[in-house]
Amino acid sequence: MARQRYHDGLALRQALPGRFLPFLVGSMAFLAALALAGGIAAHGLSQRWTHGAGAVTTVQVPSPTDPATATAAMGQTPATRIDAVLATIAATPGITGTHRLSDAELRALLAPWIEQTGDASLPLPAVIELHTAPGQDVAASLLPRLQAQAPGVLMEHDSVWSDRLAALAGSLQACAGLAVLVVMTVAVCVVMAATRAGLLTRRQAIGLIHALGATDSYISGRFATRVGLLALWGGAWGSVLALPMLLALSHLAAPFTAMGDIPATTPDWRDVHAWAALLPPALLWMLVIVPPAAGLTGWATTQLTVRAWLRRLP
Amino acid sequence: MFRLHDVSYAYGGSQTGVAALSHVSLDVAQGEFRWLLGPSGAGKSSLLSILSLEVQASSGMVEILGVPVRQARRAGLARLRRRIGAVKQDFGLLPDMSVFDNVALPLRLQHRVEAEIAHEVHAIMKWVGLEHRLEALPPQLSGGEQQRVAIARAVIYRPALLVADEPTNALDERQAGRLMRMFHRLAELGTTIVVATHNDAIVAKYPAPTIELLHGHLVRDHG
Repeated sequence: MARQRYHDGLALRQALPGRFLPFLVGSMAFLAALALAGGIAAHGLSQRWTHGAGAVTTVQVPSPTDPATATAAMGQTPATRIDAVLATIAATPGITGTHRLSDAELRALLAPWIEQTGDASLPLPAVIELHTAPGQDVAASLLPRLQAQAPGVLMEHDSVWSDRLAALAGSLQACAGLAVLVVMTVAVCVVMAATRAGLLTRRQAIGLIHALGATDSYISGRFATRVGLLALWGGAWGSVLALPMLLALSHLAAPFTAMGDIPATTPDWRDVHAWAALLPPALLWMLVIVPPAAGLTGWATTQLTVRAWLRRLP
Repeated sequence: MFRLHDVSYAYGGSQTGVAALSHVSLDVAQGEFRWLLGPSGAGKSSLLSILSLEVQASSGMVEILGVPVRQARRAGLARLRRRIGAVKQDFGLLPDMSVFDNVALPLRLQHRVEAEIAHEVHAIMKWVGLEHRLEALPPQLSGGEQQRVAIARAVIYRPALLVADEPTNALDERQAGRLMRMFHRLAELGTTIVVATHNDAIVAKYPAPTIELLHGHLVRDHG
């Protein structure tokens, strides 16, 4: 009945039709979801590159079981060169992890050369992998201290490329953030334009209920609730529509981002768990958060737009 | 009640606009009925617009129902508007809302319960003789019927101040007489009423103190 539909005269279904705004906000949410996914993926790559193999510094200690030079000179209990090197590394700030390769790992690493020469009894150095914190360059300060303990120690520092890749990932994250900002700005402009059009459509009714004593907060609240719900609805559709595309992209990007096993084949389309496993948890949370964020943005934008418009009334 | 002291108003701003009211001072007590007289362009509608808070005076002091208008915050003005009823010359009805919804509007904005609203609307519409047109839309009504709907909406919440701009010009003599009797009854109950009119016959038939304007100046108060 008309009585229900035009409860307070604002007739918001006329002023703010239920298709136009959700479609536009949904499109914005879709783009925002893709941009955010890009940012999350870049963050994942950055983490992998800065904490992965590329960030490892390798220390070679020849004759590891010989006594260490410094301790022998000071007359202390003789320690082996490898023990002295490990103790020095453990006391060095900026190192997040160490791993001494076992003989088996070492021989596996050298297998192609040892098998070619046929000499399996060659004296092998001890090899230690150091994981450093991102941006930390400990080689310059650590090497002289290690050489004081064990002359002939070698260090190979490979974090230059990992640092560059991390910087690249950081740039990609910044681009994704900028894209999200642009999308949000456009969404805010769209909501403002739609709200102003709605205000103009119902300006006579607004003027009347204002004259009858409706407060600014009542009028802006009615508009904001309508726009907020439409934006929430549009945001939900945007997230739902973004999901298949993100799943497809995650499947394609799996070889670059997966920390564990990489699925060899495309999962069956009915296997929801297999597809869900492709998406990082942060991406899933992002898809959940986009609709309420769209609704909240729409609500706040409409509140400000309507209150500014009402200021022209006495 | 309301008090105006040295009030001026100009359309389009106080500096460059056209003067509609010049240095008007008035003091009308609670429960008084006043005719507002003057030829076209005298400033009657401007004065009513100031009293109904539709516009702000360009200068001077306006105090309505004990509230100094210029110092009041927007929320305070909204509360004040809920105590003022206004009947405008163009009726101010929303064309896409039924008569029932138009009349119920002030009560809905006060968040009254629907059963109470329905009771009040039926009672007032019976009084104005339009209880059979509740579901009609304003464009489906005659000018006189629209005027009665506008009057019903202005008085349904028993305002403390009622301003009416030519409320009888579309009514026949019998309806005009009923309206005047209702206005006087409301005044007896404490509503301050100001009615602008060109109808000398009705002023003569229902004598009351007058406010008379000419070219925006107050030329007679009380009478």
